[in-house]
Amino acid sequence: MSTTQARVAADPTCWSCGAATGGEHFCPACGKLQPLPRGTDYFALFGLTRKLCLDAAELEKRFHQLSWKLHPDNFVRAGEYERELSLDRASQLNDAYRVLRDPISRVEYLLAREGMRKEGEHKQQAPPELLEEIFELNEWLDELRIARQTSSNGEMMALRGKLEAARKNFEEKLRAVDAELDGVFGQWDAALDAGADDAARKKLMTRMNELLNRRSYIRNLAANVQKELAEA
Amino acid sequence: MGRVVGIDLGTTYSLIAYLDKETGRPRCIPGPYGETLCPSVVSVDAGGSVVVGEPARRRLLTQPDRTIYSVKRLMGRGVADVQDELKIFPFRIDPESQQVIRVRLGDRLFTPPEISAFILRELKSWAEEFFGDKVDRAVITVPAYFNDAQRQATKDAGRLAGLEVLRLVNEPTAAALAYGLHEKRRGRVAVYDLGGGTFDISILKLISTGEGDIYQVLATNGDTHLGGDDIDNLLQSFARNEIREQFGLDLGHYPEATQELRKALILAKHELSAAESTTVKFPLPGGAGSARAGGAYVRKITRAEYEAWIRPIVDRTMGPVKMALADAKLKPGEMDEVVLVGGSTRIPLVQRTVEEYFGRRPHVELNPDEVVALGAAVQANILETGVKDMLLLDVTPLSLGIETMGGVAAKIIPRNSTIPASAQELFTTGVDNQTGIDIHVLQGERELAKDCRSLARFQLKVPPGPAGLARIEVKFLIDANGILQVAARDLHSGEERSVEVQPSYGLSDAEIEGMLEESIEYAEQDFTERQLIEARNEGETILRATEKSLAQAAEDLSVGLDPAERRAIEAGVAALRQAMADGDYKLIRTRIDELNQATVPLAERMMNRALATALQGKRVAEV
Repeated sequence: MSTTQARVAADPTCWSCGAATGGEHFCPACGKLQPLPRGTDYFALFGLTRKLCLDAAELEKRFHQLSWKLHPDNFVRAGEYERELSLDRASQLNDAYRVLRDPISRVEYLLAREGMRKEGEHKQQAPPELLEEIFELNEWLDELRIARQTSSNGEMMALRGKLEAARKNFEEKLRAVDAELDGVFGQWDAALDAGADDAARKKLMTRMNELLNRRSYIRNLAANVQKELAEA
Repeated sequence: MGRVVGIDLGTTYSLIAYLDKETGRPRCIPGPYGETLCPSVVSVDAGGSVVVGEPARRRLLTQPDRTIYSVKRLMGRGVADVQDELKIFPFRIDPESQQVIRVRLGDRLFTPPEISAFILRELKSWAEEFFGDKVDRAVITVPAYFNDAQRQATKDAGRLAGLEVLRLVNEPTAAALAYGLHEKRRGRVAVYDLGGGTFDISILKLISTGEGDIYQVLATNGDTHLGGDDIDNLLQSFARNEIREQFGLDLGHYPEATQELRKALILAKHELSAAESTTVKFPLPGGAGSARAGGAYVRKITRAEYEAWIRPIVDRTMGPVKMALADAKLKPGEMDEVVLVGGSTRIPLVQRTVEEYFGRRPHVELNPDEVVALGAAVQANILETGVKDMLLLDVTPLSLGIETMGGVAAKIIPRNSTIPASAQELFTTGVDNQTGIDIHVLQGERELAKDCRSLARFQLKVPPGPAGLARIEVKFLIDANGILQVAARDLHSGEERSVEVQPSYGLSDAEIEGMLEESIEYAEQDFTERQLIEARNEGETILRATEKSLAQAAEDLSVGLDPAERRAIEAGVAALRQAMADGDYKLIRTRIDELNQATVPLAERMMNRALATALQGKRVAEV
């Protein structure tokens, strides 16, 4: 990791003319595109703090402004190094926009940056308050599969009705989780504004993490039911 | 530096366009026949000389085994991929072909990029003749739904044709660009592009900003094997069945007649876009003296009947349309404009289907054949001059993935991500002293690696050590052409690792270098010289045909050929022979046209007699 550190010098200088760049996208002296330090925060790339309630129109506007400057179209006639830089910078910009414009991937990214969440680690734990419903659902799904093999039509119809209801129920729950997440997003933003301490922030992030796990679990359930219904 | 152009390398037709600096408008460049459409047909004659476009299309009838059309269907595909096509298309694929198909034309083998390069080189010569200047750089369009290998094959074709490919642009996006420029409209636009062999749907947002206009693709979908060709094949199989039933004749034994039938049916298809019914007239093959001599297959087709036949093909386009809208998170009624692109959107059923679905009348103001090339010319000009008043933000049509444990495809860049796009993945070793990590890159939406398209395989070298110690970060980057680049880095040492990516379906750099050397013989052929060869070949064909007709008319007096007409034809023949000896290709073309004019009445009379005989024959059979 040492070289990564070395690259992110405190006072970056232009690769072309050696002038201090002040961390700008383009060298203030010669105008050449500058490399972006590895691991630059997606929020920072858009000139944003790590707030979670983002105005989609404003984000898109900034995305377009930066695209206009960084897109490889601008560097077709530039030297090879600058062309590579542009490809790097433009792809990073697009990756960042893709992550930030969706509220779920946005909060997942934030939690990962804060060291609170690792990809795929906790998604498979069933939320305790849902255990009973999940148990029931799995029974119905088993019955459906058996009914499908014995092709008992009446039973299938009855089960389909139950499963449709279950699917609606889970979708309802999903909306509730989303609403709750939205609420915590607001609290998080307020906490940042108020300069809340680490403990308070950590508490909010733990809550968001739980909600995300719950959400992902419910979503998988709803998707499974959908799939079984489609196959039946 | 030479000129910059935009090229639409199509399945059926290809076009070349440039931006007229005086008017600021893109224009298509006409070829030697005055037409902007160059048939995407290539023919290699016994002497090894290559003919492209209209003269090659004529050779489909006379030398089908040396001539190929719709080669775009083979670009970037392996032998196993095209088995279905082989049932319908007369591609003569070398049985020894492996990942890259080799097609036999006469006694020589060519890869699809080489054949496409012949088409590109032809178009390039049109432009060079037009400008009186070299052309060395181009923007080439590809179907939006083309995968990495198909894009790479197109880029290779450009390189083989001596063109620096500034950018590959998606066809519907190019069309939107030409359309937006023309109409000055803003908002959400759906581009429905049904061409000869491919179907694309793209959902775009056109936005005006302080800097200029942005054309942002929200989602794209499609089918790279769905188009007008499918309609032609359908009509052809109907007609062949009917011919088999009525006459007990299998056209499979008559490649030349099969091409004649195809031509007649394509003509009928075109007529049915305007007329309520049409009649196909096809003289049956079989020499004089055979039972079928002078017989013909005559079939009236009504619009209603035709539409019932092709509806399943048109309906197949709607699946991708729905998926693209779902990915863009939009409903059909939320589009501000719907634009139709591609020759097959002239079909009234297609227009009706699209209009019903979106609840809005589609735009047809721009020529659906030219609009893609025009858009490519606009983008070419932006890249050449750096003067930018618009920006295209396109997407990758397919998810990029890597194979993980148990053969599962893990998606690392989702479909419809704005390009360039990238993903970083960290790899490590699973056993002690492992020296390499195998990586398999995939493209597609399916869960399992085996169901996705294999893009490439490579091995990361790692220094021997305990399992799990190595930390190699691999960066997968899809560039602005939609083509994958891979770079790796050892996080312990910070060193970049070179990655030798062997494409699963494609040519290596060395192979392309080899082909480039081979192709110099073609490149050095000067435009005029080539035109002369083509014009002479064409002249020979018409002379042979005319002599045959004259001989037939002499034998069969009922055709009726009066001395004045005979003298006019003979004078035409003599004038053409003289022009061919003199060697001015433009004069040869004029003489060919004149001779054609002179022989039209005779040809018509002979055709009518053939038809009359056929109808007579039918009535007898009915009794």
